[in-house]
Amino acid sequence: MVNPSLLVGVPLALAFSIPLFGLISKKIEKYIPIIALLINVIISLILIPQVLKKPIVVSIGGWSPPFCINLVVGPLGIFFVTLISSIGLLVSIYAATYIKEEPTEKYHMLFLLLIVGATGIVLTGDIFNLFVFFEILCISSYALVAYNKDKEGTEAAMKYLIQGSVGSSFVLIGIALLYGLFGTLNMADIANKISLANSTFLFISLAFLITGFGIEAAMFPLNAWLPDAHSSAPSPISAILSGIAIKTGVYGVARMVYTIFNAEGILTFIAFLGLLTLLIGEMSAFRQDDIKRLLAYSSIGQIGLIIFALGIATSLGIFASLFQIVSHALAKALLFLAAGYMIYRIGSKSITSLYGLGKKMPITSFAFAIGSFSLIGLPPFAGFISKLLIVYAAIQVKKPIFIVFIVVALIATVIEAGYFFKIVQNLYFRESKNIEKITETSGYILAPIIILAILIIAIGIHPQFITGLLKGAANELLERAGYIGWVLGGS
Amino acid sequence: MSLIYNWMYYIASGGLILIGLYIVLVKTNLIKIVIGLDFIDTGVNILLICIGYIRGKTAPIFSKPEITSTNVVDPVPQALVLTAIVIGVAILALALSIGIKVYQHNQTLNVNKIKGLKW
Repeated sequence: MVNPSLLVGVPLALAFSIPLFGLISKKIEKYIPIIALLINVIISLILIPQVLKKPIVVSIGGWSPPFCINLVVGPLGIFFVTLISSIGLLVSIYAATYIKEEPTEKYHMLFLLLIVGATGIVLTGDIFNLFVFFEILCISSYALVAYNKDKEGTEAAMKYLIQGSVGSSFVLIGIALLYGLFGTLNMADIANKISLANSTFLFISLAFLITGFGIEAAMFPLNAWLPDAHSSAPSPISAILSGIAIKTGVYGVARMVYTIFNAEGILTFIAFLGLLTLLIGEMSAFRQDDIKRLLAYSSIGQIGLIIFALGIATSLGIFASLFQIVSHALAKALLFLAAGYMIYRIGSKSITSLYGLGKKMPITSFAFAIGSFSLIGLPPFAGFISKLLIVYAAIQVKKPIFIVFIVVALIATVIEAGYFFKIVQNLYFRESKNIEKITETSGYILAPIIILAILIIAIGIHPQFITGLLKGAANELLERAGYIGWVLGGS
Repeated sequence: MSLIYNWMYYIASGGLILIGLYIVLVKTNLIKIVIGLDFIDTGVNILLICIGYIRGKTAPIFSKPEITSTNVVDPVPQALVLTAIVIGVAILALALSIGIKVYQHNQTLNVNKIKGLKW
């Protein structure tokens, strides 16, 4: 059996060895992230069938839970790890040729550390360990947003840093209150004792934790940093931030609300917040004329939809929410990578400069169209199934308020369709004289874009690829007694 | 008075967090905002420490025979605070170095005048 702690250990060790490899040769260093993430993808694919049979709990240091720091590899954890490492692998293949500005070894090291942080967050079973991995993720993403050291990048990184570090301080306050109440840091142990505590203190602690993770997840009043940071970062980083980093914030919120606090009372409020996020994001995206800012606002909208589906709180609702996480991660990574390549060729981020690119860069433009159709929710792409499931789940709860919610969500989807159709139409049916010399490049920079497009279509046509894993993951969130049982034994 | 005596560490940590939040929200100088972030950080660290502190008890280092497991404070929050301090230093260093770059690009540290990206 493969030890799941390798999922964190291998990239962490290789990350800090990258500067050493850089001393030997500049050519080796950019392949290290690809190797590390390939190992991670293979390990997680090996672990999936085992975990679905019986979740693995790794105790570190020879103590048994709740006294040790432990990794809990349940279906939810392994689902996120597979998603993170496969998106990370594709983005690192793209970045190996895309990133040319020095110091490249620092870029690759920080990129790998970001993946370590994200992987650690979803696997750990210890709430302070969660905070440490959260900080690894945040600090490396602040640095990566400022990687180009240009005016926009540093300004966006500063905004992100200020808001993000207030957020992580809030997470730490929440953790301190929980430790004060229960005297333990193990998430399963806290979840086991949660009903014994004073509900006022619990509410304060939950509020701090949701605010903290909500900043990383860009929930509505807390999302001011996202459009700047995602649009000013280098394109592979925008892809990884939109595809992975904000999903870990959603994971944090879901884990706190469902597993630890069992707070069913606030779920409708969370669904409402998600809906607001969706509306604000889509409406802001509609009036952007910078392609990367548009994609960043669209990310806010999609995160809103994910959080909304999470708040439905039925098994189908959570299932749909996780499906939406997959389809958004694939589509948004694809869109950012394709857009980054177009911007690199044209030298401008404005949407008007993309006119007529469909004939000059056929493969990239076609992939861009696939990604945007999947986000809108057209069949036969992956986004269609997730949106259909969300609508179905919201109607199935049979509460009038959710019918109202889903009507608003569908209106937001129409707005989304409006701006994405506009871009795709401009790509194919407008003429422009400035792009005579632009050509499609051959070579393996196109490979990640093509693979992502194929994955979107494959999951859209044959969703059974991932439904087994997603059902297990949704059950892990709903059945907290099961989670407590895996870690503490018995049940 | 006994209320203040019993809760003074909590009051101090809460006060530091609130002062820090005030600085971050109100001040316009970037360096002051970073100092405010550090205030929040210190406040949270004190909160963690005072959660594990028991008045009149000593550090859990068993160097003398009179120190037993009954008269020591909880060591776990102190270990947590060590980690949190290291993370805080990393964030502070990164914030200041990005701040230098921001100053070089804009020739000002006033956040009201840095408007490269519209909100």
